[in-house]
Amino acid sequence: MTLATVIDTTALWQTVVFAFVAGVGTTIAFSFSILGFTRFAEANRNERGGQAAVFAGLALLGLLATAAAIAFGVIVMTGK
Amino acid sequence: MSEADLILVIVVVTALAFDFTNGFHDTANVVATSISTRAMSPRVAVGFAAVLNFAGAFISLEVAATVANDVVDPTAIASNTVLFAGLVGAIAWNLATWYFGLPSSSSHALIGGIVGATLVAAGTDAVLGDGILAKVLIPALIAPVLAFIVGAVAIVCCYRIVGRQRPGPVTRGFRYGQVVSGGLLALAHGTNDAQKTMGVITLALIINGNLSADSFEVPTWVVVSAASAIALGTYSGGWRIIRTMGSRIIKMDAAQGFSAQGAGAAVILASSHFGFPLSTTHVISGGVMGAGAGKRVSAVRWGVAGNMVVAWILTLPAAALIGGLAYLVTDLFPGAVGPILLAALGLILVAIAVARRLRAAVPAPTG
Repeated sequence: MTLATVIDTTALWQTVVFAFVAGVGTTIAFSFSILGFTRFAEANRNERGGQAAVFAGLALLGLLATAAAIAFGVIVMTGK
Repeated sequence: MSEADLILVIVVVTALAFDFTNGFHDTANVVATSISTRAMSPRVAVGFAAVLNFAGAFISLEVAATVANDVVDPTAIASNTVLFAGLVGAIAWNLATWYFGLPSSSSHALIGGIVGATLVAAGTDAVLGDGILAKVLIPALIAPVLAFIVGAVAIVCCYRIVGRQRPGPVTRGFRYGQVVSGGLLALAHGTNDAQKTMGVITLALIINGNLSADSFEVPTWVVVSAASAIALGTYSGGWRIIRTMGSRIIKMDAAQGFSAQGAGAAVILASSHFGFPLSTTHVISGGVMGAGAGKRVSAVRWGVAGNMVVAWILTLPAAALIGGLAYLVTDLFPGAVGPILLAALGLILVAIAVARRLRAAVPAPTG
């Protein structure tokens, strides 16, 4: 009997990949939303309307991606 | 009520007591990061974690199935006295590490205690070595390392993205983010840890003949009572361990806190999905150290981290030893007398330990 016959390597790999993508991906998405909000505030203060709109979009996109990742994770958990 | 039913009741009560100590002991790990970065006040963080622990207990049963089916063979265990002795081993180890302020793993204590008692009572055939290796030991090695890597990579990416921005708004933003990441971590903790108690109670019901060993099913009252016990334990706190986790391993900023909690939640939720009964303590510690090392390797207090590693290595054999000894003691008495005597003795020892600890207590953080 080898170790590979005992261990469910598929489940282990899926755990590793899912955890890595979810953990790192969510932090990246949320970091972009913070970058967007920070730069939006600056651009807005300096009355640069176009730039402010772009950064507001980035902030919202980052927030939406973060929320979507969390919702997906919880749905996958409850779906089993 | 038959003698077997009386022992079943004692096991259920002891399992719920273990669940309470699990919440008391482990959930400090969950809230420490939010408290350390001042994302939440201690009382709000603990209350929030208690509510989400309760909710988390309802979202999966995969880990409960592993504990009930893959650790020991229910058909080879003649009496629930074995489970009782295993629980005594787990609770005794949990309280000893709490007394000394070491965040060791409640989950490994539980599995160690049950395996030790089963080994003594029914021999090696009753212990499912393959299941323990595949579902407990290998994930136990991988999970903290994975959380470390995820936490480290996440914080490096984060600093690359927001590193040149003004720190004030960035910190505020990540503090808001930590409300969500801390909540997710509490949810993940409830999902993985409350299920271990559900698994033990289900195993006890199978051994007693109330449930069939062929079809796995967790009664609703078991889910609700396990969720309530861990949530109550969480709310009761565990300030000494909060102090160790929150500041003695590493001083964190809000971005690191967010990355550490995100790493921990992702690893625990993914593992729960596949039925791996992880130690949340190991995982969040891995995430915290990764988020620290990703910024500056010397920022992590490796001495404290080393003490925790020693506690982790000791947990399985120590809890197994106590579980085995507890079984030998209960076996000296007929029927339910042994569990009743040991439970009474345990309660007295717990009361003495808690009274001594409270006398020398660290005051609870306020706010």
